[in-house]
Amino acid sequence: MGWRKTILIVVLVALTAAGVESRRAAAESRVSIGVTETMETFNPYGDSVSLLYGIWCQVMGCLGTYDFNKGDYVGMLAEKWEVKDPNNWIFHLRKDIKWHDGSPFTAEDVVHSFNRARNDPQSKQTQNIAPIASASVVDKNTVRFTTKQPTAPLPEYLFDRLIITNHAIYEKYGAETADRKYPIGAGPYKFKELIPGQRFVIAKNPDYPGMKQMPQAPDEIVYRVLREDEQRVTALLNGELQIAQFIPPHLKKRVDSEGGTKSTTVDSVEIMFLAMQPKPPFDKKEVRQAVCHAIDRDRIINTVLQGLATRLDGPIGPGQYGYDPNLKPKYDYNPEKSKKLLAQAGYPNGVDVELETPVGRYTLDKQLNEVITQMLNSAGFRAKLATPEWATLWSNVQAGKVPFYYMGRGSIVDPSVALSQYFETGGSPRIGYSNPKLDKLLATERQTFEPAKRKKILAEAMSLITEEAPACFMWRHKMIYGMAKQIDYKPTPSGRIFGEDIRVLK
Amino acid sequence: MLLLVTLLVFVLLHAAPGDPASMLLGQENTAADLAEARRRWGLDQPILVQYLKFVRTAATGDLGKSFRFSAPVKEVIKERLPATVELAFFSIVIAIFLAIPLGVWAGARPNSWLDNFGTSFGLFGISMPNFWLGIMLILILAGTFHILPSGGRSTYGVAGASETGFYFLDSLLQRNWPALRDAFVHVVMPALALGANMVGILMRVTRSSVLDAGGEEYVVTARAKGLDNHAVLWRHVFTNALIPIVTVVGLEVGTLLSGSIIVETVFAWPGIGSLLITGVTARDYPLVTGVVLMYTVAFVMINLFIDALYAVIDPRIRY
Amino acid sequence: MPSSIRESATEAPRLAAESRRDRPRARRLPFKVAAGGAIVAVLVVVGTLAPWLAPHDPQYQALEAMLKAPEWFHGAHFLGTDNLGRDILSRIVYGARVSLLVAFAVVLISGFVGIALGAISGYFGGKIDFAIQKFVEVVWAFPALLLAITILAFLGQGLFNLILALVAQRWIQYCRVVRGQTLSLRDRDFVAATRALGAGSPRIIRRHILPNLLQISLVIGTFSMASAIISEASLSFLGLGVPPGIPTWGTMLADSRSYISTAWWLALFPGLSIFLTVLGINLLGDGVRDLLDPRLKRAMKT
Repeated sequence: MGWRKTILIVVLVALTAAGVESRRAAAESRVSIGVTETMETFNPYGDSVSLLYGIWCQVMGCLGTYDFNKGDYVGMLAEKWEVKDPNNWIFHLRKDIKWHDGSPFTAEDVVHSFNRARNDPQSKQTQNIAPIASASVVDKNTVRFTTKQPTAPLPEYLFDRLIITNHAIYEKYGAETADRKYPIGAGPYKFKELIPGQRFVIAKNPDYPGMKQMPQAPDEIVYRVLREDEQRVTALLNGELQIAQFIPPHLKKRVDSEGGTKSTTVDSVEIMFLAMQPKPPFDKKEVRQAVCHAIDRDRIINTVLQGLATRLDGPIGPGQYGYDPNLKPKYDYNPEKSKKLLAQAGYPNGVDVELETPVGRYTLDKQLNEVITQMLNSAGFRAKLATPEWATLWSNVQAGKVPFYYMGRGSIVDPSVALSQYFETGGSPRIGYSNPKLDKLLATERQTFEPAKRKKILAEAMSLITEEAPACFMWRHKMIYGMAKQIDYKPTPSGRIFGEDIRVLK
Repeated sequence: MLLLVTLLVFVLLHAAPGDPASMLLGQENTAADLAEARRRWGLDQPILVQYLKFVRTAATGDLGKSFRFSAPVKEVIKERLPATVELAFFSIVIAIFLAIPLGVWAGARPNSWLDNFGTSFGLFGISMPNFWLGIMLILILAGTFHILPSGGRSTYGVAGASETGFYFLDSLLQRNWPALRDAFVHVVMPALALGANMVGILMRVTRSSVLDAGGEEYVVTARAKGLDNHAVLWRHVFTNALIPIVTVVGLEVGTLLSGSIIVETVFAWPGIGSLLITGVTARDYPLVTGVVLMYTVAFVMINLFIDALYAVIDPRIRY
Repeated sequence: MPSSIRESATEAPRLAAESRRDRPRARRLPFKVAAGGAIVAVLVVVGTLAPWLAPHDPQYQALEAMLKAPEWFHGAHFLGTDNLGRDILSRIVYGARVSLLVAFAVVLISGFVGIALGAISGYFGGKIDFAIQKFVEVVWAFPALLLAITILAFLGQGLFNLILALVAQRWIQYCRVVRGQTLSLRDRDFVAATRALGAGSPRIIRRHILPNLLQISLVIGTFSMASAIISEASLSFLGLGVPPGIPTWGTMLADSRSYISTAWWLALFPGLSIFLTVLGINLLGDGVRDLLDPRLKRAMKT
C-alpha cells in the first residue's frame, strides 16, 4: 500500500503548505501594484516603456514632470528653467538634492545622463533628446541645452523622459556594473530589487526634500508584472495586490462588488485613431471622411466599452494642451452620407479596404475593430479585418507599409510632437500625409514660445487635420484602476504611477 | 547540427517582417533614431555578414548582447533557465505521481470504475488547451478559494538573495522554510497547467503497458508461484512497463518546453518560455538565437540521458 | 544520433503497447468505434450543414444584446451571446467547420509529406537517408511553437498559412516511424522476392511498403488531429490565429480569456466543443487501431 500512502501524504502536504500569502505586520506600509508592461533591464536607458520611465524617474530622478492637477510642468531635480534664446534652454537645478549615497547632485550628472541616453549602445531613448544638439555645464547647478531648431515643446521631450543617473559611479565602475550593482539614484524612492520579467521593488527615501511630510506615501512599492486581466483582478481581490492597473471595462463590476476593493477611472492621454495613408482609395478626402461618418462612436462607447471612454472630435480632448472646448464635432454618425461621399469619390458600388489592428495591446482592440468593420460594411465599404502579430504590424506601420490601421498614440500632453510625427510632411512614414498648409502651421507653432498664441496655432492645425481626415479620431479610453479600500490613489492620465501620489490609509 | 539550427533561426527571424529598432525605440522615435539604432546593433549589414559574425563570436562562447534586455544573452538565459527547469521538474513530478498510480491501477483492473475514471481523467488532460486550464486554475484556486497566489514565482521579501537561481535549492540551503513554502505555492498551479497534458498521455501509456505485460507468461508464472498480487503488479508488471513510460516522459519533455511558452505567459513565470516570447515579439535576434541554441543542446542531452536510462532499466539494451 | 536508434525503441513499442491494451476486453471494441465515430460524424454533419443549422448569422453583432447568458429554450440565443452580441451557438456550429477543416488538412498534408519522406528515406538509405534525417533533426530540435510563430510572422495571417504552420513539425512523427518500419520491411522476404521478380522501386514502395504503413499512420493521424485542434487554440491565444472574419473554437476560447469570471458561457462552450471533438477523435483512433492490429485479430479468432 506504500504508494497510496505516498499520494495521500503528498496531497496533505500540498494542502497544508498552501494558504494565502501571509499578510505582513503593518508597521511598514507596502503597496503591490499589478502592472501590464514588463521590466527587463537594469539599464535605465535600455527601455522605452512608459511604466519604466515612471519608476526610473522616482528612483534615479528626472528634471521635471507634468502635473496633471496643475495642468503644467513642475520641476523635480530642476528648480526652474528658462528659454535664453530660441535655441538655448537653461535649467537651474535644485541645490538640496543628494544622491542616495550622500554625494551632491550636480550639473555634471545631467550632462552625463544626456550623453548616455544618446551614446549608450543599448540606449532605446535617443528619440527623447532628438531635438537637442548638445548639453553643457554652465556652473555646478546650471545646465544648458542647445537645440538644433527652436523647439517650444522641449519639456514634452525631456520631462518624465530623460532619466538622470550618477556620473561618478558610472566613471568608476562602467555602465554594466554601475547599473547592476550600484543603482544609486537621487529620487524620492530608492532601488530595492529588480527581477526582470517579474517585479521591481523600490523603497521610500526619507532624505528627499518633502518626503518626510508624506508619511502616508507607501514605504515600499512592489511593481508586479501580471499581464492577464483576470489574473490581475483575481490577485487584487485575493489581497496580493493593493492596486491593479488597466482593468478592462467588463471586469470593473467584479472589483466594485467586492467588499475590500474599489475602482477609479481616469481619462487616458492616449488617443485612439484610424489612420489612412493617402494612397488609393484613401487618396480621396471623401473616402477618408466617409470612414469617419461610418462609425457610430457613441454606440460603441455605450455598449462595448460600457461608457468607459470619451469620444474624440479632434486629435485631442479635454485636459490636453491646446484643446479647444468650442470645437464643434465634425463627424456625426451618418452611413448615408458615407455612401454619398464614396459615390462622389468615384466608388458608387463600394470599395474594398483592409483594416489592421493589434490584438491585446489596447483596451478591447480586437472586439472594437470587429464592430468598426461591421459598421464600415453597412456604410458602403467592403471591409476586411486583419490582426497581424504586433511586431509585424508595428514595424510595418513605422515603415509606412500599412494603408489602414487602428492605433493609439500615448503620452500626449502637448500634442505638438505627435502631430508632427503623424501628420507633418517627412514627420514619419506612418501615414505619409503631406499638406503644405499644415506643415507651415506646425512649423510656426514650434517656434512660438508665447503660450496663448501657440495654443491658437495648435488649435488651427488640429481643426485642419480633422477636416482633411488623414486619420479618424475615435476615443480616449478611461483607464480603470482597481485598488484596496485602504488605498487612496488618484491615477494619472499618463499611466505612470508615482509613490508620492499614493496614500495608505490606516 | 547546432550550426544548421542557428542558421535556420537566423534566416527565419530575419525573413519575418519587423525589426528590433522599431520595436524597442518607443512610439516617439524618428527615422534618424531608427537608422542610428540599426547601425549601432549591426543590423545595417547583410544577413550573411551578421550570421558569420555571430558564428565567430559564438565559437568563443559569447552569444552577443540582447537588444531587449541590454545584457549579455548568456547571462539573461542563465537567470531565466532555473525557473523553467523548476517548473518542468514539478510538472513531471506531478504527472508521474498522478499518472503512474492511476495508470497501473486502471491497467490492473480493466473496466472497473477506477479504470473508467482514470481514462476519462487522462482524456480530459489531453483535451484542454493549457492556457485555458491555467486561467481556470487561477480563478478557482486563487480567486474562489484564496489558497494559492495568482502568478509570479515568489513573494517579495520572503526569500533571501538567490544563490543558485533555483528557489527550492536556495531555501533548502538557507534553511528558510517560509521561502520554501512560498516557492512551493507559486509553482503548484503552473506545474499543474503544464503537466496536465502529460498526465493524460502518461496515464494512457502506463495503463496499456500494464495491461500488456499482465498477459505475459512470466507474470502468469509469478502469480502461479503464489506471489501476492501487489508484488506481482509492482515488481514484474510495472518494471516491464517502464520502458515505454520513460520513452514517453523523454518525448514529452520537448513538448513541455514548448508548452512552457504559454503557461509561463499566463502565470507571469519568468522562465525561458516567456523569454522566448519576449524575444520573438521584440525581434531580439541574438536572444532568440541564443535560446534556441540552448534549447537544442538541452534536447540532445535529454535524448542521450533517456538512452542511458534504457540501459539501466533494461540490461538487454546495449550500445 | 540517438534519436534514430530511439525511434525503433520508442515509438514502436509505445504505439504497439497502446494498441494491445484492450486485448482482454475485445468485445468492447466496437463501442469505441461507434462512440468516437458518432461524435466525429455529428461534427462533420454539423460543420457541413452549418449554414442551414445555425440559427443566426455567426458574424452579426447585436451590440445592445451582448453578454447574454444562455437562454436555452426560452429565447433566441440558446447558448447566449458573446462580448459583441453574436450568437454563440451559431459560432460554435460554424466553428466546427473550420476546426475540422484545419485538423483534417493538417493531418493529410503532414501525413503525405511525412510518409513520403520517411518511406524514401528508409527505402533508399545512404545519402538520401542521411540528408533527410539531418533535416528532420534540425526541425525537430526547434521549439514547436516558435517555428509556428515565425512561419506565421513570415507568411502572414490566414487559414492556409495556419495549416502550414501546424504542419511544420507534425510531419516528422510520420517520417520517423515510417522510416523505421520501411527499414524493417525492406529486408523482409516478400519484398526481396518481388524485387527478384523484377519490380522497380516505385512499384515496390507503392504495392508492398505503403499498405503496411497505413495502419500506423492512421494511429498517428488521429493523435495529431487532436493536437492540431489544441494548437490552433494556443496560437489564437498568442494572437496568431486566423483572421477575425472566420469563427473558430480556438479564437472564441482565446477571446473569452478575460470573461471567464463574469461570463462563463463564453469560455465553456467552445472549450466543451474542443474537448468533445478531441475525445471523439481519440476514441475513434483507439478503436480503429485495435481493429487494424493484426495481432489483435489473431487474438480475437482464438
